[in-house]
Amino acid sequence: MGLLDRLSGLLGLKKKEVHVLCLGLDNSGKTTIINKLKPSNAQSQDIVPTIGFSIEKFKSSSLSFTVFDMSGQGRYRNLWEHYYKEGQAIIFVIDSSDRLRMVVAKEELDTLLNHPDIKHRRIPILFFANKMDLRDAVTSVKVSQLLCLENIKDKPWHICASDAIKGEGLQEGVDWLQDQIQAVKT
Amino acid sequence: MAAASSSDSDSGRAESNEASSKWLDAHYDPMANIHTFSSCLALADLHGDGEYKLVVGDLGPSGQHPRLKVLKGPTVLTESPLPALPAAAATFLMEQHEPRTPALALASGPCVYVYKNLRPYFKFSLPQLPPNPLEQDLWNQAKEDRIDPLTLKEMLEGIREKAEVPLSVQSLRFLQLELSEMEAFVSQHKSRSIKRQTVITTMTTLKKNLADEDAVSCLVLGTENKELLVLDPEAFTILAKMSLPSVPVFLEVSGQFDVEFRLAAACRNGNVYILRRDSKHPKYCIELSAQPVGLVRVHKVLVVGSTQESLHGFTHKGKKLWTVQMPAAILTMNLLEQRSRGLQAVMAGLANGEVRIYHDKALLNVIRTPDAVTSLCFGRYGREDNTLIITTRGGGLIIKILKRTAVFVEAGGVVGPPPAQAMKLSVPRKTRLYVDQTLREREAGTAMHRTFQTDLYLLRLQAARAYVRALESSLNPVSVMAREPLKLHAVAQKPSRRVGHTLQLLWPVPCLRQAPRSRAGHARSRLGTFLPRTGGALTAMVQGLGPTFKLTLHLQNTSAARPILGLLVCFLYNEVLYALPRAFFKVPLLVPGLIYPLETFVESLSDKGISDIIKVLVLREGQSAPLLSAHINMPVSEGLAAA
Repeated sequence: MGLLDRLSGLLGLKKKEVHVLCLGLDNSGKTTIINKLKPSNAQSQDIVPTIGFSIEKFKSSSLSFTVFDMSGQGRYRNLWEHYYKEGQAIIFVIDSSDRLRMVVAKEELDTLLNHPDIKHRRIPILFFANKMDLRDAVTSVKVSQLLCLENIKDKPWHICASDAIKGEGLQEGVDWLQDQIQAVKT
Repeated sequence: MAAASSSDSDSGRAESNEASSKWLDAHYDPMANIHTFSSCLALADLHGDGEYKLVVGDLGPSGQHPRLKVLKGPTVLTESPLPALPAAAATFLMEQHEPRTPALALASGPCVYVYKNLRPYFKFSLPQLPPNPLEQDLWNQAKEDRIDPLTLKEMLEGIREKAEVPLSVQSLRFLQLELSEMEAFVSQHKSRSIKRQTVITTMTTLKKNLADEDAVSCLVLGTENKELLVLDPEAFTILAKMSLPSVPVFLEVSGQFDVEFRLAAACRNGNVYILRRDSKHPKYCIELSAQPVGLVRVHKVLVVGSTQESLHGFTHKGKKLWTVQMPAAILTMNLLEQRSRGLQAVMAGLANGEVRIYHDKALLNVIRTPDAVTSLCFGRYGREDNTLIITTRGGGLIIKILKRTAVFVEAGGVVGPPPAQAMKLSVPRKTRLYVDQTLREREAGTAMHRTFQTDLYLLRLQAARAYVRALESSLNPVSVMAREPLKLHAVAQKPSRRVGHTLQLLWPVPCLRQAPRSRAGHARSRLGTFLPRTGGALTAMVQGLGPTFKLTLHLQNTSAARPILGLLVCFLYNEVLYALPRAFFKVPLLVPGLIYPLETFVESLSDKGISDIIKVLVLREGQSAPLLSAHINMPVSEGLAAA
């Protein structure tokens, strides 16, 4: 860590790096959200189901995010816990139109919150109630009820209604996440 | 009996409480209005979009309005009426072309309706059967108006009862009609030639020539005229025809049609027939002791549920492997296949609202539902593998999702015979003496029994005589003389100096009486347990630890009305061992029915821990023979030993 690095950091030229985990069931829109947050020239056109995980980078106004975009398929979900230690924040994506699998999302969230690497850390969690554009989508309030988010007492959390295809609601969530991470750091 | 109890203890272990349940409750709608059986449920990716849909051949609330329903998630996507009650639903791939969306086949009446992309695609009808010539003749006569409807009805009824070839649907419907409707029916139908078609009872799919998951499959149909048909997946021609001795109701197939396959058909005569590729007739037959209610193949084991509330496992050659008893009648069965863990198990829906999951004989899990389960289906639904769909008798729909982390474990060592059965008994060698003795027993069995009976009667006689003697000499605490009906009950108690005082403060009397009695034991005269019908009764009780005991006699006048006056109580004891303040005293007037407690203290004099018997006699003034007597076994004085 040279003097130059610190100097550039102070001047705001070099942004602080944070590691974020992006979790959620398969087909909830994790990769689409991350893709939409990247600069428009780096966005890919077609999104395919993620295998294993992929690492993506994007910048907000004051932070540089490194996102672990985990696959949500059932057989890859046991990979998640290996990255809990590194994560400084969690983005949890929910398909608001999939009423049937809301219990599965809740189950995975409960497993996440009770994991020893997460349980005692004050790690910010951002929820995206995604796919708001679909006709049978439920509201973000209903999603937070179904997932019993009010029971999370020891971690800052926030839920955003989003439509990843159009990019609605994403910036609001990322701004909240940035504030939280900076609040923890200072 | 043993099987039943072991399965009960099984259920206790395999049954998990809400919190640690293996299942997530995704959806429950008690008013979903779905009335169907397991055979009419199918799961498939009908649109090729990765979202698996549920196909339901719905019988309607009272079997009146059959419908084909397709569900996506908890909601009904499409619904269309069916011409007849559905018998079975299946999904299968018809051809190799892309996109590989499966077709839906629904067997109903004599037809199989095939849908692609949820649009009607093809209707296969079973081939026509030759009609009964007599019936044909009758309708021909009706056509030429040579016969009136009433005679036609009578003639047809005659045919129905006797002929080997059953009547056509047209004639059967005619026989159901009222007199007024007959004329119109005949004039409407007489010009049509009569057709006889059988109906489909069951349907399943069989891979054509590849064992792959997404290989082209043939439809296999079971019909009411005891035949099995295999249909070509593209042309819907009959590829093979097999005949059975009875009507098939459940089918289970493995293998490929072009290579080798095995077909098991559970039939209405209570037998399961097993056929192979080359056999036109059954190769093996499993005779069940009851009617089958379900047939599921788990790997190589055929599991049959029977009306005797049990599951049976058979090999594909018909050898019986095991039987498990259920707590209630089986209503439906289906296969549970968890591909990620390579598990196959049988689910059985029971009349008591349980769904039991068995892997061979071992109970893996019990799911309780609010209503009796009529159909079960497990597989990929929506985007979730391992989804269980349950419909109930009241038309409810339950969707449960197996947790990702859930592992089915067999409930401990209850599998197989109990461990005691495997233990080797040390059977003694057959000695010469043993053999001789056995032979003698075999030859002279009657004589031996007689000798034994004689001895037994002698013993009983002696016991009765001793009892009578005891009664006559008043050696008992219950008087038998009608003039002095009395009952004595004696209790000895020690007012303990060390413990008793505090106890008395803390607890009122009943506890004080209880505590020492349990330690020192009370000596209730054994004869005192004889119940009096008339006369008096005596019970004696000793309480305390020693050296001072309290002896309480309970004396009761058991006569109905007459009081007793002038009785005496006398104690006979060893004066070296015991000291009593009053060894002889008068009894007050005894009112009928009341129990009089007569207390006296007994001081144990010996410090050697010896105890003796104290005799209690109840006498009448002026008579030497006692009315009642009791022997009190005094306890050893523990107070002395402690001091």
